[in-house]
Amino acid sequence: MGRTGLYIIILWYLVYVLVISADAADTKHLNIWPMPQSVSYGYGSLYLSNDFVLKTKGSKFADASGILKDAFFRTINVVKATHVIEANTSNINPTFVLKGIHVVVLSPSDELQHGIDESYKLHIPANGNPLYVHIEAQTVYGALHGLETFSQLCHYNFSSRGIQVHQVPWTIVDQPRFSYRGLLIDTASHYLPLPVIKKVIDSMTYAKLNVLHWHIVDSQSFPLEIPSYPKLWDGAYSISERYTTADAAEIVSYAVKRGINVLAEIDVPGHAQSWGVGYPALWPSPDCKEPLDVSNEFTFKLIDGILSDFSKIFKYKFVHLGGDEVDTSCWQSTPHVYKWLWRNGLNGSEAYQYFVLRAQKMALSHGYEIINWEETFNNFGSKLSRKTVVHNWLGSGVAQRVVKAGLRCIVSNQDKWYLDHLDALWQGFYTNEPLANITDPKQQALVLGGEVCMWGEHIDGSDIEQTIWPRAAAAAERLWTPYDKLAKDPEQVRDRLSYFRCLLNQRGVAAAPLEGLGRAAPEEPGSCYVQ
Amino acid sequence: MYSSNPRSNLLFVVLILFSSSLLINSRKLDLKQPQQLDHGHTDDSLAYVWPLPWDYTFGNQTLTVDPNLSLVTQGNGGHSVIVSEAFDRYKKIIFEHCSSKLDGSGVDYHLTRLNVIVHSGNEELQLGVDESYTLMVAARDELSVIGGITIEANTVYGALHGLETLSQLCAFDYGTKTVKLFNAPWYIQDKPRFKYRGLLIDTSRHYLPIEIIKQVIESMSYAKLNVLHWHIIDEESFPLEVPTYPKLWKGSYTKWERYTTDDASEIVNFAKMRGINVMAEVDVPGHAESWGKGYPDVWPSPSCREPLDVSKNFTFDLISGILADMRKIFPFELFHLGGDEVHYDCWNSTPHVKQWLQDHNMTAKDAYQYFVLRAQEIAISLKWTPVNWEETFNTFASSLDPRTVVHNWLGSGVCPKAVAKGFRCVFSNQGVWYLDHLDVPWDSVYYAEPLEGITDASEQELVIGGEVCMWAETADASNFQQTIWPRAAAAAERLWSKKESASSANTTVLPRLEYFRCLLTRRGIQAAPVTNFYARRPPSGPGSCYSQ
Repeated sequence: MGRTGLYIIILWYLVYVLVISADAADTKHLNIWPMPQSVSYGYGSLYLSNDFVLKTKGSKFADASGILKDAFFRTINVVKATHVIEANTSNINPTFVLKGIHVVVLSPSDELQHGIDESYKLHIPANGNPLYVHIEAQTVYGALHGLETFSQLCHYNFSSRGIQVHQVPWTIVDQPRFSYRGLLIDTASHYLPLPVIKKVIDSMTYAKLNVLHWHIVDSQSFPLEIPSYPKLWDGAYSISERYTTADAAEIVSYAVKRGINVLAEIDVPGHAQSWGVGYPALWPSPDCKEPLDVSNEFTFKLIDGILSDFSKIFKYKFVHLGGDEVDTSCWQSTPHVYKWLWRNGLNGSEAYQYFVLRAQKMALSHGYEIINWEETFNNFGSKLSRKTVVHNWLGSGVAQRVVKAGLRCIVSNQDKWYLDHLDALWQGFYTNEPLANITDPKQQALVLGGEVCMWGEHIDGSDIEQTIWPRAAAAAERLWTPYDKLAKDPEQVRDRLSYFRCLLNQRGVAAAPLEGLGRAAPEEPGSCYVQ
Repeated sequence: MYSSNPRSNLLFVVLILFSSSLLINSRKLDLKQPQQLDHGHTDDSLAYVWPLPWDYTFGNQTLTVDPNLSLVTQGNGGHSVIVSEAFDRYKKIIFEHCSSKLDGSGVDYHLTRLNVIVHSGNEELQLGVDESYTLMVAARDELSVIGGITIEANTVYGALHGLETLSQLCAFDYGTKTVKLFNAPWYIQDKPRFKYRGLLIDTSRHYLPIEIIKQVIESMSYAKLNVLHWHIIDEESFPLEVPTYPKLWKGSYTKWERYTTDDASEIVNFAKMRGINVMAEVDVPGHAESWGKGYPDVWPSPSCREPLDVSKNFTFDLISGILADMRKIFPFELFHLGGDEVHYDCWNSTPHVKQWLQDHNMTAKDAYQYFVLRAQEIAISLKWTPVNWEETFNTFASSLDPRTVVHNWLGSGVCPKAVAKGFRCVFSNQGVWYLDHLDVPWDSVYYAEPLEGITDASEQELVIGGEVCMWAETADASNFQQTIWPRAAAAAERLWSKKESASSANTTVLPRLEYFRCLLTRRGIQAAPVTNFYARRPPSGPGSCYSQ
């Protein structure tokens, strides 16, 4: 190396120093959502190579179905979608250019199950040649979270016209606080077209949510094909507002490839009126179309058939059996049901218990563990299968009682985590603590996590995204980030959440302003970052 | 393959001959009550197209479509990447439900090939480009050897419209798990009524990420709109890069809420691939306060930041620079110079401007005219045709360059006046076509007529079309699409279809529009319920998309 070489080194050093000082000023804030477990960073700045590559040397994961590869390309696409890249990184000193990501996955398995290791380590060195981002994870799904975090460290730079990573070196060690971080969608109140569901799934990955609770059917409509009982989807709103089993399998596979489990629900016996459109025998009588006829063996045969068909599509270890809002009064007023109750020595609430427990046994026989809404616990908690997970919704304090009784629990108290409650603000989503008043570590471990619920009475393809986001993100951080790192005052995270909602917008997700009620329109002209 | 296509024209004639026997039961949808669209359980006739084609006949056959539908192209423009990429997009839309498991090898489909014939190899997209197309669909059977799907168009842009129409004839049959094309055989001859069918987006009141703008463009192509009027900058923010005056985008809200020139070119190209022109706007002198963030000299004074300082040559240098830079990005022949809502009082109260007015023997109103005309000259020198908001016409019509396109917005009756004076006009009456007016229901949008009050045929010619305007004071990425749709679609049919078929006597409109809004949601577009009185409101309760 002659004089020129030395000159170039000095020049680059100057550029480096200038870049640092220029960038340190406006990127001192951490804008990662949800906040990782531990983060350290420096003051350097690097470019992303025009041909940024994925390297998996040393990884035990073969990626036969392309989960990692596809996720890598999605990551690059969302990073590059914000602006047209003009920078030519081949003209830049390679010691400032990240050539790619080196992902090492230690487990060869691509099975996604509840409680899977989702941890990852992300390291971006400040120097080296060649320079690679390093992600190490136990499972491919942990690596996917690492890629998402990485994407949030990348910024389009208007001076260099390329993607830059500021504040290198980065070292991030991360894992979720809860293993169940859910979002409920409801396709019975309104049918949600496949692209809409897929977009919701994509957006969930940005916030590291990992369970899509699919409340498929309810009183209003039955959109899903059930091959064993093909008339069930006669209960769909129309001939075209339906999902084939292939569609459902496609949704599941789409979600799993993104590290998201799909929890299917049939809500029995209280939310099932639409079943009777195809099979009127399920209705106790024309005046009493709900709850399902407890006295008719066909009811249970049908549930068994549905669960059997489910088990071929929905591979998550849980199935949701509902069990909420069961008003048994019309069982009593329907002569043949009343007779059956009398013959079996049951009153209405005992028949409700009988129904739920019998459905539970069926689910168990198909290899599922069960999730039930909290009324089942509130009414006959001690009778429930020990494999039951109680899904709270009515109010706070339920999780406490559930875990005390030794059952597992998911928190969704409606006052804070029901997205259809437009007056539930993001601050409340953020501060709702699933472990409130639960101090015993053994009991704490029984709280699997929480879920925000997007009930669909007033939700369809036109407004689902802005009703979910950004409030669901506030809950997502509560469920992901270590308790100690969560802000005590949600206003401390407002700017970062605002930044995340603008990031969602850049990725084409219609996330609403933070200001105002859920999905409120912006009040006036202004920057995304302050609304 | 070759340009004149005698072979395809022959097939055409043969098809029509056969049609007379095949189409015994066919009828004109616009003359008779159509088959009732029943999303309940029985009737599979989904033959609803939006906007309604110009002329068409159909039958009563149901044909299956091969999920491996292949594209065969002919003509000088057939090989265009615009056609092949559109074909790939529409295949994804049409076969949304067909997973690979259902590829049905061994099944005998009626329709396995799509023939696209494009006569012209010229891909220049301009105002008045030939957008017509013919779409024929017939089964291949003993009677007819000319089965299949054929789209014939003079330009690739006509072919794109044909593909859109074709996609709307297809529907997934949940029973057989195949895509079916109902009411075949189809013979459609289609063309737009107006050559300018616009939608305004406003990226100054709220920045729209590129991804969102692309979603809007994509959705426009579903309704056959063809002009994206990009109101890029206004008083609130200046998000666009102008290389000649690089401090201008200091007027952006934040450093993240900006478009580079390459971003803008990317949007123009993305739109072109979908047959959509992008008309850029620089709204001078009244809506330009944000310019002064980078160049405070264009503000008459710190207390008078608008209109732009008419007394300084620098103001016009800046406009020249902006327009020259924009000319490299926006090839569309129309360029919008704004000119609306110019409150020039503060010119009078700013000493140096007042002095300049006196020196030039001008009133402030004269200076407004002077400003607009000088800006027009700059645009014309760059080979642009200027478009101006109607105040310019209302205030000094006789001085405007005769090439000016007058853009109506304040109320009705303006286009009749403009065309009477020989100007061309774009209709955007705010009472009916401003989408930010949430209290304008779909039918008010639909029954607005751009030619109202114009009877003379040569004057009618001068109304080049209309535009719905999505002003963004309270619209951002979170609610943009549901404020635009489905009302923009109502205007789109007004601008595309025959006047008679869009008359109030046509009772098919509401069910067809409801169907179209569901089609939009099925394509991932956030189109709001049709029948809510206020726009972008959520559905009032549970129910089918097709009745909300």
